[in-house]
Amino acid sequence: MNPEASENKRRAEDEENAEEPSDIVGENLVVGYGPGKKVIENESMVAEPGKVTALVGPNGSGKSTLLKALADQLAPEDGVVRVDGSYINDLSKKEIARRLSLLSQESVSPNSITVEELVTHGRYPHRGFFETVTEEDREAVERAIELAGIEHLRDRELGSLSGGQKQLAWIAMVLAQETGVLLLDEPTTFLDLRHQLEVMRIVETLRDESNVTVVIVLHDINQAARYSDRMVVLKDGCVSARGKPDEVLTKELLADVFGIEAMIQSTDRGPRIEPLRPTEDD
Amino acid sequence: MSADHRKEERTTEHRFKWLSDRSLVILAATSTAVVVVASLVQVSFGSYSMTFVEAWRAVFNLNVILDVRVWNAFLLGGELPEMGERSLIVWNVRLPRVFVAILVGANLAISGAIFQAVTRNELASPFILGVSSGAGFAILLTLVVLPGLTVVIPIVVGHFVLSTSNLLPLFASLGGIAAFLIVYVIAWRGGTSPVRLVLAGVIVGTVFASLQTALFFFADDIGVVQNAVAWTTGSLRGTDWEQVRIALPWTVVAVGLAVAGSRQLNVLLLGERTASSLGMSVERVRFALSGVAVLAAAASIAVAGIVGFVGLIVPHMVRNIVGSDYKKLIVGCLFAGPALMVAADVGARLGMSVLTGSGAQQIPVGIVTGLIGGPYFLYLMRRQQEMGEI
Repeated sequence: MNPEASENKRRAEDEENAEEPSDIVGENLVVGYGPGKKVIENESMVAEPGKVTALVGPNGSGKSTLLKALADQLAPEDGVVRVDGSYINDLSKKEIARRLSLLSQESVSPNSITVEELVTHGRYPHRGFFETVTEEDREAVERAIELAGIEHLRDRELGSLSGGQKQLAWIAMVLAQETGVLLLDEPTTFLDLRHQLEVMRIVETLRDESNVTVVIVLHDINQAARYSDRMVVLKDGCVSARGKPDEVLTKELLADVFGIEAMIQSTDRGPRIEPLRPTEDD
Repeated sequence: MSADHRKEERTTEHRFKWLSDRSLVILAATSTAVVVVASLVQVSFGSYSMTFVEAWRAVFNLNVILDVRVWNAFLLGGELPEMGERSLIVWNVRLPRVFVAILVGANLAISGAIFQAVTRNELASPFILGVSSGAGFAILLTLVVLPGLTVVIPIVVGHFVLSTSNLLPLFASLGGIAAFLIVYVIAWRGGTSPVRLVLAGVIVGTVFASLQTALFFFADDIGVVQNAVAWTTGSLRGTDWEQVRIALPWTVVAVGLAVAGSRQLNVLLLGERTASSLGMSVERVRFALSGVAVLAAAASIAVAGIVGFVGLIVPHMVRNIVGSDYKKLIVGCLFAGPALMVAADVGARLGMSVLTGSGAQQIPVGIVTGLIGGPYFLYLMRRQQEMGEI
């Protein structure tokens, strides 16, 4: 295919994305790390297009594993993942990366790279081997930096940033991919409160002001309840509940899945949980 | 500065703006100065001595530089036209050695830089994936098993003579490439990882090194042993335009691919997982880039044997100055590698005669690169807290 045709195709894809919110579906997924180490057993999940879906569950429940399977970072032993109707296995790596972006839990980078350089790497799937940074790429990088609220950090080296600032820079990088689907793996874990709120504010902006379909793994149930439109609760590799936060979060579920006794208050920012004590029977 | 203004300025940035990075320019200028001074020393001294001015005149002798037949002889192996004695010594004996040193230094430096990114290992050198021990084994095998081999292959015009001495560079490179492929096969298990690659490299390296040492016992005379040592520690002795002709095409290819691949290397530095989620076929890119690095290493082995240290320390020195952006790092290596190599070769060729007062003694350049590079590396380590971080 000549470069122009591929460029047009790319534009067409982008426009498609702009019109309709993307959807991502995992069907009958069996995911694991080799024989006998199955983590997810025959589960399906649908992300609400254009909305925020939170994956929650205790440690080892398979939420990150499920996310990795959706992101094509872990090949499922069985089942399929579809993005906007195409099977993910039929797409090239770059085509996938133009449709969905993933922020992994731990990211490594050289210390001397600047924030702007890092964010520009987010344009990787949009660039050919010898292509230079286009006007379009620059604009996408600007939008991402603005959305992440890190204009003041753009020329700083990554090694000089705090953990929270680094995380915002990484989020800006995946935002620069400008994909229809955004997958975030525990983006707030290990951050101080202010940066947790800054990260979640980005998610909120995406929910309210864009068509991006967000799937986010969260450790903190309260954050999930407050910022998500839908929740999927996992326990031992199986989905125990799914639906709107106020429908999903019940005392029974918290006892059953998380093994805690808790109080649930209904607030105008969604249900709020106050964990009281571990349940006795364990 | 207003945001709009700033944006405007950024969007008009030129594609090659990073090349004008101040630290990179200083590095390139300093390295070039080192190369020029060392070359001048190299062409002036030796068994046929001349003054700097005479050497300088011979180097810039326009009758030589502008003569097409001369370049035909140098680069394509044609017949050398008549020229003055000084010009002959400078252009046909001493300068080619400098050029070979430049090519070897550039190759080893970019090869090491690539391997450090591919394996994400600060101790990586061109030889981390078994290349040196494979080449060393092939060298010993050739010298011991085929000491006096001569094969004459008749071709349409005349005949083509293959002897041990002109097969050695080929076998050495092939040995290195073979070892690299073995390492890759061993490390591969539905994909590979930097740790698996490095471990496999260490194992294959150890086995080949043992075999190489064992072969020394079968060497029947001291000449063979000395020749083997010169090859396995790296030497530029007796290099000629022929070595330039051997190494130049591969160097051009390797350098071109390394520069083109520098963005891939930058993305690879973000970690495999990030690179993969950005749409990179990590395994394919890693193998291709390793291939480029091995090509560069093999080209240098073919003309100079196994020169240590250059490929390890030059990328660190350059990273220390220009940062870890591989676009700048690769270009920096293209200047700093030759600088170290040419300077070290001055020591290798003339050092012994300065120390002992007698002429003709030369030591392998690989020994000098270690002697210069090692202490400089230590100095950097002591001065810099974050030395070695990729």
